Parts: sequence; C-alpha cells; structure tokens
Amino acid sequence: MSYEVSERLFAGEDPTRVRIAGVAVALLLVAPLALGPFQTGLLAETLAFVVFATAFNLLYGYTGLLSFGHAMFVAVSGYTVAKTVQQVGPALGFPDLFGGASVLATWLLALLLGTVAAFVLAVIIGYLSVRLEEIYFAMITLSFSMAIYVIANQDIVGSVLAAAGVGGGTFTNGSDGLTFLLGDVSLFGLEFRLVDIADPSAYYVATVLVATVAMYALWRIVNSPFGTTCKAIRENPERARALGIDTQYHSWMAFILSGTFSGLAGALLIPLFTNVNPNYAYWTFSAEPVIMTVIGGPYAFLGPLVGAVSYEYLRWAISQFELLEQYWQFSFGVLLLVVVLFFDNGVYGGFERLGAWLSVANERYEDDGIAGVRGFTRETVGGWVVTARRVVGRRVRSLRAKFAD
Amino acid sequence: MTHHSTDGAGGEQTGSNRFNRRQFLAATGAGATTAIAGCTGGGGGSSGPIKIGGVYLLSGVAEALGTASANAARAAVDAINENGGVNGRDVEIQLRDHGSNPQQTIKSLAQEFGADVMIGLTSSGVTLNSAPTIESLGMPFTLTDIGTPFITEPDTEAYGNYYESDSGKAAFTPNMFRTNANTSVMTYAIAKFIAEEYGAMRVANMGPNYAYGQQCWDYFKAYSEGLGVDHEYVASEFPELGASDMTPQINSVLSADPELLFTSFWAGDTTTFISQAADQGLFEEVEDVFDTIGADPTVYEALGDTTPEGIHMSGWYWATAYDNEHNQAFLDKYRSMYEGENTPSIPGFTGGSTWAAIYMYKKAIESAGGTDSDDLVAELEGITIDNDPRGPTTMKESTHQATAPTVIGETSFDADVPYDGAGLANTQTYTLSREEAMDLLDGSGLGPGV
Repeated sequence: MSYEVSERLFAGEDPTRVRIAGVAVALLLVAPLALGPFQTGLLAETLAFVVFATAFNLLYGYTGLLSFGHAMFVAVSGYTVAKTVQQVGPALGFPDLFGGASVLATWLLALLLGTVAAFVLAVIIGYLSVRLEEIYFAMITLSFSMAIYVIANQDIVGSVLAAAGVGGGTFTNGSDGLTFLLGDVSLFGLEFRLVDIADPSAYYVATVLVATVAMYALWRIVNSPFGTTCKAIRENPERARALGIDTQYHSWMAFILSGTFSGLAGALLIPLFTNVNPNYAYWTFSAEPVIMTVIGGPYAFLGPLVGAVSYEYLRWAISQFELLEQYWQFSFGVLLLVVVLFFDNGVYGGFERLGAWLSVANERYEDDGIAGVRGFTRETVGGWVVTARRVVGRRVRSLRAKFAD
Repeated sequence: MTHHSTDGAGGEQTGSNRFNRRQFLAATGAGATTAIAGCTGGGGGSSGPIKIGGVYLLSGVAEALGTASANAARAAVDAINENGGVNGRDVEIQLRDHGSNPQQTIKSLAQEFGADVMIGLTSSGVTLNSAPTIESLGMPFTLTDIGTPFITEPDTEAYGNYYESDSGKAAFTPNMFRTNANTSVMTYAIAKFIAEEYGAMRVANMGPNYAYGQQCWDYFKAYSEGLGVDHEYVASEFPELGASDMTPQINSVLSADPELLFTSFWAGDTTTFISQAADQGLFEEVEDVFDTIGADPTVYEALGDTTPEGIHMSGWYWATAYDNEHNQAFLDKYRSMYEGENTPSIPGFTGGSTWAAIYMYKKAIESAGGTDSDDLVAELEGITIDNDPRGPTTMKESTHQATAPTVIGETSFDADVPYDGAGLANTQTYTLSREEAMDLLDGSGLGPGV
C-alpha cells in the first residue's frame, strides 16, 4: 500500500534539484571518512549555523524584519536541552525505559523540547515585537534578548523558585551555565558515544539528518504562498496591506517560524559545545546570523548557507595564521567590509553573477568559438580594468596636484 | 535560432538550468573547502618535538594576566630546551587566545597542532564549560590560573555532580590538574590572617559580579565561621566584571561603615577598584582591605603611586616571597627574556604555577618515557617536583590539586620591584590540607577542592 509519500512530499520540486540536493546530502554523510575529527566537528557546527542563519533569514531577507535578538532562541532552546539531559530525562526514568538507547531517546526529547521552548518564546515575543518595524524592531528584539541574558546570568529563575520553596536557588547556574555530556549509546549491537568530542562522527551524522529535514522544511515555507506574502511585505508593507494582507499577523507567523527553527539549530549546536551559558543570549551571538546572512546574501534561499559556510571556514582559516589570529576581529572586519562594499547580495550574489557571465560567455563560444569568449572578456573584464584605471589615475593626479603645491 | 547550431543539445538557457549551475557552483565550492580541510589533523608521535598547547585570555579584560602566564610558559620551555630538552627531544609550545569559542581553540590545539599536553585557561567559567571537551580529548591538561575549587573536587556524593545537576559542586575531571592554589585556599588564608590579626570585625564585601566573586565571598564566610570568628557582615556589592565605574558600590560599602573590606577583584578590576576607592577616601575609612588575587606587578605598575600602603593583597605567586635557588633561576630566566619588553620583567601572580606545570610535564614525560596520555596522567598523579619556585610541590593523586601555597603580603613602596609602583612586603604563605578544609567547611555545603 502506497500513499505516494515521496510524490506528495516532493510535489512541484524540480527533479534535477532534488537529485543535486540528494547528492549533496550523501556527500555530507560520507564526509567524516575523509575528514579528521576536528574538521568533522567543525562541519557539524557549520551545519547547525546553516539552519540558524537560514531561519534568521526567513525574517530578514524574506519578510524584511531585521532581528537583533535571535540568540535568545538558541539560548532558551540550549537551556531546555541542558535541563532535559540533566533532569527531565532521568526524572522520566529514561535509563530504565530505553536501556542502551536512553541517551539517544534523551537527545530526541531534548531536540523536541528545545524547539518547543523556542516556539513558545517566539509566540510571545513575536506578538509584542511585530508591531514595530525597521530599527525599532531591531531594538525591541535586542532588548528582549538582553533581558534573557540577564535572567540567565543572574539566575533570576533560581532565586524566584527558591523564594517559592523549590530548589536550592540555582536553575541556570549564573555565568558558569550548565555543562552536560550526551554519553554512551548501545543500539542494535552498535556502541558509540553520541557526542564524542575526540571523534564527533556519530553526532555529525545526526546533525546532517536533522539539518537536511529543517532546510527542506524552510525551503517549502519560502516557496509557499505564505513565503510569497512575506516577500510582498518586505517589498512594500503599505501595498501589501492595501491588497488585504494582514501584515502584522503574517510578520508574527514569520517570526514564530523563524524563532522555532532557530531554536532547533540551538538544540543541535549546544550539545556539540557540551555547555550552555548566558553568552548564547548576548547580543554578540545575535550578530552571528546577521553577519553570516550579509556575507552570503539575504535575497536567495541558499545565501545564508553560503554565508555560514564562508564565515565558519574563514574563521578557521584565520586561526591557522598566528598573526591574523591575533587580530582576528580585524581580519574578519576587513573581509566583511569588502563583501558589503563590492558584492551586491553577498557571496551568493557573486556566484549568481559569475553564473550569468559564464552563460553569456558560453553563448559567445557557441557563436564565435574561443575568439568570441576572448572578445566578451575584453568587453567586460577589459571594461572594468579601464574604469578602474581611470578612477585610480584621476585619484593619483589629484594627489599629485595637492602635493605639488 | 540558426546561430545555436553547434550541437543539438545546445539551446536556450532555461531558468531551472541556470539555477542548477549555480547550485553546482555552490556545491563544488563547499566540496573544495572540505577537501582542503581534510589534509590536516595530528596526534602525538614518539619522535620530533614534544608539543605543548596553551590557551589563555590574551585579549580583553584579562589580557595582562593571560600574557604573564604565556610569558612564564615560554620562559620555562626556553629554559628546558637550553638544557637538552625532555628525553633529548625539543619542546615546542603554541599559545592561543581563548577566542570566541574556547572549546574550539582547545580542540584545534589538540587535533590540528597535535599537542601532547596542554596548559592554560584564564576563566573558571570556561574551565568548567570545557571540562567535557578536555576529558574527551584525553591529553593531560594542567590549569595554572584557575580559582574555582569545583574542578578539583572529586566527591560527587557529598557535593553533587556538577555535570548532572544545576547545583552540583564537584566537577573533578580525570585528565585535568591544577598547579595554583584555588579559591578555597585563597579565602582560607585571608580568613585565617584576619582571625589572627583582627578577630571578629564588621566586614563588607566587594567582588566582580559573576561566579568567581560570589564563590570567594561564600568561601570566605564559611572559613571564618569554621575558624570560630563571628564577623558581622554589613554589606556585599558586586560591580559588573570589567566595570568602568564602581563608585555606586564603593559608596554603598562606605555607608555601611565596615571595619574590614574583603574583595575578590583581579587584573583590570583591581586597578579600577583601587583608584576609585582611593578617590573616595575608602582606605582612610576602614582598618584594612583584603584582595584574593589582585597582587600582580601589572596592577601596581598601572596604579603608579595610587596604591595605598599597608593593605593586604594575595596571589598565587609573588616574586620575592620565596628564598630558594629555583625561584632565583626562574627570576633570572624571566628577566633575561623580558627585560626591556613592554611588560614588567618579573613574573606575574600566575608565574610560579605556570612554570611548575611545564616542569611537572617534563618530569612525567621522562618517567613515562613518552607522551602517551594515559601513562602521563598516571605519572602526574602524586608527582612531586623539587624545583618549583614556590618550594617542592606534590600533585595530589585523589584531587589533582597541587599542594601549592597562597601568598599574602602588605602593599609597600619599599618592595623590590623593577617598575614604578608598589609591591608586596612582609609576605606569608599558607597551605591547606583536605582534612583541615573539610573540618572548617563542615555544614557549609562547600567542597574543599584540595
């Protein structure tokens, strides 16, 4: 009996696209065989950030709302994950219930509860935030995120609970945060440590699977009528309202979806760091998906993905050189400056233009052979060189005139 | 369409077709990065140099502190290499900043640089957060600058497992060791000093607003009670870590009219506190002020002639507190390397513990005959080195805490220091056994960590 699940699930998807995505996922799944443990861990972290940045971009690139507080979803989800591993799992009797698979079951529950916690937070904060637009929206999300930072840092929850007669005054454990480890799994004769820092292959595979599902869900969301409505709001909120769209409601829904998927990313990320602390709610962490998205390009679905990969691996590349590492913020700043100044729609926009250039070059090749390509190169690249030479020449002449006086 | 005639397949560029190429480009880009990335990765070998990785805060609020530790580590490595290395092998050290993701930095040193052993960390919070990472990586990791007693407290029955609950205080990790005296010893020393010199007093507290400041105050009160001193606690203020203005908290403390002030500031915070407290005349209002780990040359140099004389500050090491040839060798080596540099030419308060950590590794590697992680951990448990500048030190097998002393001194401008500013005079050292600590802390719920 078939419900034609695959047909319905991929309805309307371009088969070539599905095939490419399938190959990409397959490559990712076998990647640990070629990579060392350090690179596998880095790639797992990158994938979690890919989901985080893409979820963030649902609000920024697609709906036109710049949130500067998305770290709060990672933090709240992370604390929920830590609590689930430390307390909820054992309290539900998971070790007895699931035996060797209890760590795996705890992780799945943590993933679910973390995402749900982020969802609830997004419902509330989104409801209060989407009334504002532009810089005011950025400020209010920043404020909420910093409020959560303070609540975690000063362990206000712990104090309140202690005042109510529950617990010993610690809940978030202040600035130290909560540290935990997802340990040994024994399932169908397979024995492995779910999060093994020395060789994170197992957790990496789990991350690939969850991230793939999340990315596909986000892809479907942005390509649905809902996604189109979001874009309408981004382009012109007044006009969207005139067309009968409840922009505030739609923004709220986009906020909830974005926050929920950010929470899922957080639930993937925190076990890999083995710890959650107030810094994951701090504004600098909120800046990370913003920077990734700006680097990658906010106006394409895969922009944040390209941005997250570029960000993580450039950061890694910088760490390989002692001098650059010493001033890594500076090195990174310069790079960001270059992208913002010279790339329209980020690195992804650069890829797109390269693609467009190559396709025209291909046409010219088909028309006139290699001479055509040479001609086209002369027209385009030659044109840029001429312009650059003219601009630089003018500047040099003006400087020379200045110093001649 | 006649010009598109080279082959049958060549045709119009459809939307989806172009999309595929872009996607392909993105995919190959990602693939290339991973392929390049795959060429690295390391691991300890039995030939070539012995590799030590070090992670300290080398930027931001504690830069001076982390840099002093890094300098002491480099000096020790240099001294060892000059004298034939370890088992005839050279020692290579790589020191990095905590960075935005300390666990990643630790992983990178272990797996990319291939560190055989590691030293480091400047933040107790980072230490506790990174412990599972360090445990998974397996190589010995010696803490040289860390206050929290939790990390050397193995008794999870009595104090709760740190990793399994939000109130646990025992975070012992099998491959982590510590060469500096921790908060437990530091606060005991101050409580003991006050008990002997002053007796019961009106005591106020000031400290940085994070776990360390809170912990110092809790331990100080517990030890005072254990010693049978019935202080009256009149105020407790916690300015933010790295605060630029502490005057509201200083005012609040002054209005409570304490006789003694206990503080737990360190590095930049000590400088801010002392200069602002001096401005407000705090040092004239109280009989004495104590500080846990503020006694550092960089602090006194920054304060110039602002440091009040006669207050009591402690640290894990003070250059002139130990009269032995090994301390002299350390001082000579340090001066020869850093004289004329943009840093005091005497070691900071983490100098002794950092130097000792490197020499413990030397001895352990020589005894083990290699750098196998498990062998080294076994060797380090209970190891004693005689050439510690602070006097012979033993790494306790049960807690992985070295029997390291804390030093308390009186601020003075007569101290022998190579910069313009105060130093410590009339120094005294204190150590604490586990039995004594358990006895004194009984009923407080706090672990001895020694």
